Amino acid sequence: MEDNSEKPKGISRRKFLGAAGAAGAAAATAGFAWPLLKNESTYSASSNESLGYNFRGKHQAGVTAPRMPAGLVAGLDVRVDDKRELEQLFVRLSESIELLMSGARYEDRSGGFPPADTGLNDRADGYVPPWVVLSVGDSLFDSRFGLASLKPRELQPMPKFNNDYMVKPATSHGDLSVAIGGVTHESVIHGFRQLMRSVRGSVIPKWTRSGFNSIRPDIKPGIAPGRNLMGFKDGTANPDPQSDSSMNEIVWVQPNDLQPEWALGGTYLAVRVIRMMVEFWDRTRLNEQEELIGRSRDSGAPLGMKKETDEPRFTSFESHIARANPRTSGSEENLMLRNGFNYADGLDGNDQMDQGLVFLSYQRSLEKGFITVQRRLDGEALEEYIRPLGGGFFFVLPGPGQGSDPLGASLLA
Amino acid sequence: MKSFNGPKVGGLLVALTLVFAACGSDDSSSSGSGSSTGISASELVQETDNALIEDAVDGYRAYIGEQIAAMQAETAIFADAIRAGDAEAAAAAYPISRRPWERIEPIAGLIEDIDGAVDAREDDFDGPMDPTFTGWHKLEYFLWEAGDLSEAGPFADQLEADLQTFADALPGLELPPGVLTVGAQELIEEVAAPDGKLSGEEDRYSGTDLYDFKANVEGAEALIELLSPALESADHDLLDAIEASFDELNNQLAQFGSFADGYVHYDEVTEDQRSELAATLGELAESLSMLNGTLGLE
Repeated sequence: MEDNSEKPKGISRRKFLGAAGAAGAAAATAGFAWPLLKNESTYSASSNESLGYNFRGKHQAGVTAPRMPAGLVAGLDVRVDDKRELEQLFVRLSESIELLMSGARYEDRSGGFPPADTGLNDRADGYVPPWVVLSVGDSLFDSRFGLASLKPRELQPMPKFNNDYMVKPATSHGDLSVAIGGVTHESVIHGFRQLMRSVRGSVIPKWTRSGFNSIRPDIKPGIAPGRNLMGFKDGTANPDPQSDSSMNEIVWVQPNDLQPEWALGGTYLAVRVIRMMVEFWDRTRLNEQEELIGRSRDSGAPLGMKKETDEPRFTSFESHIARANPRTSGSEENLMLRNGFNYADGLDGNDQMDQGLVFLSYQRSLEKGFITVQRRLDGEALEEYIRPLGGGFFFVLPGPGQGSDPLGASLLA
Repeated sequence: MKSFNGPKVGGLLVALTLVFAACGSDDSSSSGSGSSTGISASELVQETDNALIEDAVDGYRAYIGEQIAAMQAETAIFADAIRAGDAEAAAAAYPISRRPWERIEPIAGLIEDIDGAVDAREDDFDGPMDPTFTGWHKLEYFLWEAGDLSEAGPFADQLEADLQTFADALPGLELPPGVLTVGAQELIEEVAAPDGKLSGEEDRYSGTDLYDFKANVEGAEALIELLSPALESADHDLLDAIEASFDELNNQLAQFGSFADGYVHYDEVTEDQRSELAATLGELAESLSMLNGTLGLE
């Protein structure tokens, strides 16, 4: 995890969670042992020791955090007049995020004030702080703040793909996005509410989606951490976020990528809210379902193979997994790190269930990563069962470093 | 009093009713349409030895008196037009007559059942023609929705009588300082509530929500002006932030009209403009929520 696991000076009795520590905390809260916990002391809900993520570092820690039981993503528009006010906004956001992720207690206030926190962060209730990932959208680089020349080379509005006719502007994009992950829904909601109250009036929340993952206990690379709402294992082929070499190859923008210099250590984020026509899906023959996906529903094994971990050998490239990752020579450069969550948001106007996937992928190159993969998926037979509803492309700001800089300092310097 | 549970009465209104010594009934037929904020009664039973806050309370008492007088005079014009069957004059007088009420809306809860009698919406009743549905919004319904004033006269009489009851009850009123601090916040929360002015729910037949909106803001501004000497010494930055938000909100509202020239129908306020208003209201409400504690109140 590079420098994300270092303990900053002057803070004692605080345990910073790298990816492994977060997983351990998640496991402890969920009530089962977690292999990644091995090198961490056991998390205890009654402990007074403050658990948290290290906000400081080269990268934002949430990007490579393990898949979380609860997640939220939001598109936000900023409402400030000039670059100076934008800087102040980033300072406030960063202070709020650092406090959130540290797991430190909020100030005590007398009863004549509203409390400084939501009350959803009571450690006695098993609270483990959330992580927050802050990103910037294409529109932040318009004429308002004089940032046009600093736009990451590949950042652009998400184009309309083949099946995107239900994608609406009101549920897409934003000057900023925040993604939040946590061990409980309450911790994620706490995070979003604290963040928004810290910048009320300066930021307009545009759209938000929240959801969940049921994490299986034996999570490790090559094994899907859980199932999507089509009932299929999802994430089997995801790269290992704990491998620095993989992350440098797949996720983090590198010096030779011709980005603006400020962007080093960041990554591109693609968000897609993908509704699944679950009633229709549940009426679909199992054989059809498995051919559409390309895996056995129950075992997760690629069709024609025995185990989930078996490397697929494709004879045709019609299935979802073959199109997404054909495993052909050169297709490894289209890999990306996915870290999304399932959602279920009641009913639509036709009494049908609004359920699906909030897809989040992080990649060093949008063109080579999400865009290439989505172009391959365009026209896939699975489209009949899914409707993208919104999302957007963003650039995840580099980590704030070890000093006292806020997020975005390199952009606004 | 403990069993007071009038449906849909806003949290602050209930709270204030509880601290008002004269309220004794637990008549559950009372109804109103305030926003619910869950402010508890005990928080508003307060003492202060800050003379600046005591001055503000005295000033607010005078302000309430002025607003009551204006409300009765402006409502008389409205009620006369209704009784005369002059729909045009009544429609013009309707939003004007509501302004004083909206400026001192938190106070309305001090008087038993008044909010339900004069400012309830049809949602609290068996439809708009339910005879127990009375007050401004009943008359708003006759004017804009039914288009027939032939049966409206008695409701105009009733509105004036209910407001007289309100006026008569005010001289003996207890005003804990929290009425001012929490009241300022409550006026803004009222605007932003999902069933408030921002959503266009308040004046759904007439679309005159912006008059109520502006009057709520004026009522909150009046409170801040009264409290500003105390706030100036307690937290100058907070006062600056509040005043900046009021300026911004008033500039935003000015693009839709004024009391003198009239405000546009609320349907003409676009989704984006409502978002902008919501953002300023939110920022202002965050600042106002710090007022009570900053002034050392419990």
